[in-house]
Amino acid sequence: MKRTIYLLSSIAALAALISFSGCGKDPLKDMTAEESRIYITNHDSQANFKSYATFSIVDSVAVLSNRADTAKKALTDYDKQLISSVSAAMQSRGYTLVDKAAKPDLAVALTRIDNSFTNVAWNPGWWGGAWGPGYWGYPGGGWYWPSYYVVYQVNEKQTAIDVFDLKNPTADNKYVSVWNALWRGSGVWNTDNVASMVQASFDQSTYLTNK
Amino acid sequence: MKKILNWIMIFAGVFAAQAVSAQVRPPLSIDVNYSVASPLGSLKDYSGKTSFRGWTAGLQYMLNDQLSVGLRTGFQDFNEKLPRAVYPDKLGDVSAVQTRTLQVIPIQATAGWAFTKPDKPVIPYAAVGVGVANMDYKKYWGQFVESDNSWQFMVSPEVGVNIPFGQASPVLFNANVRYNYSPYKMGDITNFNSVQYSVGFKFHLN
Repeated sequence: MKRTIYLLSSIAALAALISFSGCGKDPLKDMTAEESRIYITNHDSQANFKSYATFSIVDSVAVLSNRADTAKKALTDYDKQLISSVSAAMQSRGYTLVDKAAKPDLAVALTRIDNSFTNVAWNPGWWGGAWGPGYWGYPGGGWYWPSYYVVYQVNEKQTAIDVFDLKNPTADNKYVSVWNALWRGSGVWNTDNVASMVQASFDQSTYLTNK
Repeated sequence: MKKILNWIMIFAGVFAAQAVSAQVRPPLSIDVNYSVASPLGSLKDYSGKTSFRGWTAGLQYMLNDQLSVGLRTGFQDFNEKLPRAVYPDKLGDVSAVQTRTLQVIPIQATAGWAFTKPDKPVIPYAAVGVGVANMDYKKYWGQFVESDNSWQFMVSPEVGVNIPFGQASPVLFNANVRYNYSPYKMGDITNFNSVQYSVGFKFHLN
């Protein structure tokens, strides 16, 4: 009888332990949208950011989906906020905003990416020149994450800012990207988050200045 | 006459000792413990917080009064969430809230040596576990996870005490300190090192 009680109590204790801490905490459960986001910036280490004086920015945002064959242009409230925040940030770094016709040194392209998987072919082609491919990982080349990374969300929305050098086209007349920012995670298409995401992207890119 | 009396005394003594030894408690026991573990070395750099989510469970068989062999398993969850920071990477600078986790499930064969006989009120012992551990590594960059799962060699020396609830009780309180080592390499982790503190119970079964 005693033995049975011991046996039962030990099994109960083991079961309690396992249910108490049998599996680890799921970090995704207590993560805010802000915490879920990552901001990736990259730049051309050969670029001399002090050599550029002027920039122009797109008048609408490219919307890209790997479910559609072509990119669309859009100008939602989000897109307006994005254009104005990025323009302000560029100006705060000493670059002068000019019209596209005024031969700017830098071109700023804005893209919203709606991925249903983790890869997307990208060729907006409406700036008036072909972008230098491959540098960022898209279009064409491999995606940012190594293959052992797992993206939990099947549908992922992203936003990208690309700054191209219009002063120094390549031999075959392509423009090279000198700076990129890519936002991933929850809420990157939320208008209220635009200002802080632009801020974070520029804050981590102190070299992006002509001062 | 005196000689006979001496013999009787000796025999009585031997029988008494044998009786105690044989009847203190049955040789097979199971144990369950709650564990707290502190990461050391490169594991601490990866996920520095002390883990309060852990347990161990084992089965032991006493070969004699002092030597035992067994099998054990357990679980320990290391978890640390770092405030947003910018991490330079070969493809760019990544601003992220990193959550760095490692879950460890060892399966080890054990050998233990008790420093006293089993009828003592406090039984200090030393043990060593040798086997494998499942390492479940997940480093979250925001909501994106970099993960790896593998089995690694693990060795775990241990010292502890067993305190019976009464001289011949089959139930003992157990407290132990264990050092875990595994030559596990993943990301910032160059070796797995932890100190694990456990308290629990040991039940001898007939």
